[in-house]
Amino acid sequence: MRRYDCLKIVDEEIGDALVITTVGGAAAEWNSIRPGDGSLRCRTLGLVSSIAMGLALALPNRRVVGFDGDGALLMNACGLPTLAWQSPPNLTLLVFDNGIYEASGLRRTATSAGTDLMAMARGAGVKNAAWAAGLDEFRSLLRDGLGKQSLSMIGIKTEAGVDYFKTWQQLPAFEYSEIENLYRFMRHVEKLEGRRIVPLPGPKH
Amino acid sequence: MADYNGPQLIVGAMRQAGINFVCSLADANLAKLLAAVDAESEFTHVTLCREEEGIGICTGAYVGGRAPAVIMQNGGFLNSCNALTTTALNFNIPILLLIYYAGDLGDEGFATLGSVTEPVLRGLNIRYYVLRKDEDIHATIKGAATLAVDSRKPVAVLLTKDVLGMRR
Repeated sequence: MRRYDCLKIVDEEIGDALVITTVGGAAAEWNSIRPGDGSLRCRTLGLVSSIAMGLALALPNRRVVGFDGDGALLMNACGLPTLAWQSPPNLTLLVFDNGIYEASGLRRTATSAGTDLMAMARGAGVKNAAWAAGLDEFRSLLRDGLGKQSLSMIGIKTEAGVDYFKTWQQLPAFEYSEIENLYRFMRHVEKLEGRRIVPLPGPKH
Repeated sequence: MADYNGPQLIVGAMRQAGINFVCSLADANLAKLLAAVDAESEFTHVTLCREEEGIGICTGAYVGGRAPAVIMQNGGFLNSCNALTTTALNFNIPILLLIYYAGDLGDEGFATLGSVTEPVLRGLNIRYYVLRKDEDIHATIKGAATLAVDSRKPVAVLLTKDVLGMRR
């Protein structure tokens, strides 16, 4: 499977869910599919699952989707038990596993040697953690995860290598800096929620 | 001292400062404080497996409109340095960092950890305040939380055994 094709399905299925994207190609691909203020680009490898979980806990009535990668999830593997413990029912975490550190020199990750990230998630206590065997099953698992009131994780084995790397390297650059991305995202949340989110600057007068 | 109320004063100051979302990882010297946090029904309290994830969880909570704090030992602060740099500092995230100061004056067994804690905070350009006296608890915790929001940065308070009710 190509990650890009999965992300097109995500765009069709998630409605106005808030999206947190991991470091690397998924962010560039998602930006080309759905530019705008409803997505936040994480800049710390591994922290997507944690940021998405904090957001899901803060906004229990809003759907949150995180895009993780194998290198990222491996780096923050001890976040899995925390995630399972809290199990925010409004969070869906997608794990694109290409077996390499795609944006960091294309070297292999441990999943290329047999580490099973969905088995790790289940072992940590995430009850709904499954691999999608193809695009149709991915869509079906995604719909299922978005529809039910429980935390879900979906693993997708995706195409990798220098040719694929070159495809997303040629995608358009991000329009906003990291800080501007954050504030636009928070203003977007304010509009959705109908209340102030960004703290007021002080002093009052 | 059974009637020692430092941890209650800390939690009261956190609540008054508007903190409502807490991530923590256990330390023997934080036990009374964490129990006081558990007893505070207005706080969401997430128990961590490793401190760095707490910086991410607090970031997500802040983006969703909550006012977050992390309670951890200084060894855990060192575990958090990448997330503090590339997420909290990079994205202007206010997080109150309440850090138990192992290896502080009179402590035994953590001298190396104690010796690098303040230099690392200074290296990250994270403002910090060492809390040693009960009478300073309220102003320091509340002031640090205000400064975090006003500067849009993490701000640290180093909690000594004196204010945690653990000085023997």
